Amino acid sequence: MTATTSDTPVRQGRTAPGSKYVSLARTTLQQAIAYRITTFFNVGLTFIWVIILYYLWRAAYSERASIAGLSWDQMRTYVVIAYGINALVGWRTGTAMMAAIRTGDVVFEMVRPLNYCTTQLARALGFTVVEGGISMIFTLVIGLAFLHIQAPASLASGLLFVLALIIGFLTKVLVVFLVSLLTFWTLNGMGLMWSQQAIMQILSGTIVPLALMPGWLQFVAKVLPLRGIVSTPLEFYLGNAGGWDAVGLIGLQAVWLTALWVVANLAWKRAFRVVEIQGG
Amino acid sequence: MVRLVRIFLRLQLVQLRSALEYRADFWIAAVGAILQQLVSIVFLLTFFGHVSSLGGWSLWQILVLQGLVMAADGIREMFADGVWKLRADVNDGSFDRVLVRPIPPALQQFTALASIHGIGNTSLGLVVLILGLARSGVDWTWWSVPVLVLTILCGTVLTASISFLTNMIAFWEPSAQSAFPTLVALMRDFAKFPLDVYGAGIRIVITVILPYGLISYYPSRLVLGVGDAPGWWVTTPLIAAGASALAASIVWRRGLNHYQGVGN
Repeated sequence: MTATTSDTPVRQGRTAPGSKYVSLARTTLQQAIAYRITTFFNVGLTFIWVIILYYLWRAAYSERASIAGLSWDQMRTYVVIAYGINALVGWRTGTAMMAAIRTGDVVFEMVRPLNYCTTQLARALGFTVVEGGISMIFTLVIGLAFLHIQAPASLASGLLFVLALIIGFLTKVLVVFLVSLLTFWTLNGMGLMWSQQAIMQILSGTIVPLALMPGWLQFVAKVLPLRGIVSTPLEFYLGNAGGWDAVGLIGLQAVWLTALWVVANLAWKRAFRVVEIQGG
Repeated sequence: MVRLVRIFLRLQLVQLRSALEYRADFWIAAVGAILQQLVSIVFLLTFFGHVSSLGGWSLWQILVLQGLVMAADGIREMFADGVWKLRADVNDGSFDRVLVRPIPPALQQFTALASIHGIGNTSLGLVVLILGLARSGVDWTWWSVPVLVLTILCGTVLTASISFLTNMIAFWEPSAQSAFPTLVALMRDFAKFPLDVYGAGIRIVITVILPYGLISYYPSRLVLGVGDAPGWWVTTPLIAAGASALAASIVWRRGLNHYQGVGN
């Protein structure tokens, strides 16, 4: 009568630390799928500038063959892929992090036996699967059907592109995370997101390739970590960096990523001290 | 009419006061909004570091286009940003409150939010506009300044009407999440550059369907004397403002009739 249903093994005790983060990523993935139409528009609106830039550069290249060493084919490819990459870790990831702090949900994060930075990385990864998918569709449709973008310069540059892209993604999540921590001191997440997006667009090389920038701006952009998000992967894609250049670029990305990781963990601990719990 | 204007200003003042309670927030929002506008300026400066003219337009002439769009949108942000709350209000039912008050609902919606950070965009827009005008070698006549002022004011009406219209989607499609209104609002960026560079499709959209071009490109060509601009183009901002305001008021009326409140 009392059938022992022990034939389905019940998993007991702790799950491995890795799978905790995987299930966090899966949760946000499901959320992102639920809001896919919004995500579609959010990605779509960043592509307005792809269209604008395409036409502006087309007009510029009608009179010359190359600008700062970039041909028209390369520039077109650059513009589309730059915006495709920049759409990753979009509006939603940042606002979700800020909302957690503003509503006080962040205290639940506090009591969980998880590393907060890794938690945020896992969440961002979940969103990115959907954002990345949609952004890839936009990039491929616009890029292949209308703008006729180039393939990676070679297999090696394609692989380096993917590696740089992954490091760039992690860099961006940590930067967005650090910005979101500022919501501990201010209520205005919107203004922070606007600033973050604008600075990121300029210094990552999304709006215009680093090579074209005026000297002083180029210097600033080359030193800061943001170039690793868009510019570095694209330099590999276009085959403009090989040999020791490539080692240097990946090395710089890695150094900045490590530094940001340390800073993010320290900042998180520091930020939590200023928490004020509202209520009576 | 006078009474309505007074109520409008009164409501704005109330919002302004509450917003001023968060002084640091105001500065963060203002800086953020300005930085967003600076992206296209940084692009332009870099672009013109390598190119001397874009379809016959100089850097300074294009700055005039940028300034006009930025100033118009900045003023819209200051006085009509409440329409962006419409979706949330319809969604959670607080729009009911608007309907029972003896003040026109549209007026209340416009004043539902004070975005004083719009003052940042407006000033930046005016600075960019004046810089552009000063270096464009404008052939000043008595109507130049009035046309520019008219363009900015009509631009405010146009951008306000368009965001009002797109946010009314809430009456038919109650999901408050949609990014569709933002997408349409950002299409104004097309009008920050001379329309000649675009393909025919975009030119038609930005002239006829979302006539952002009518409040930047067309009147600017007249004032700056770029190409042969027919004199009647002076009316293009008025056409844009009039048509968009009319469309907004018609759809608003329909939307109000369609509104059923929330719940079962």
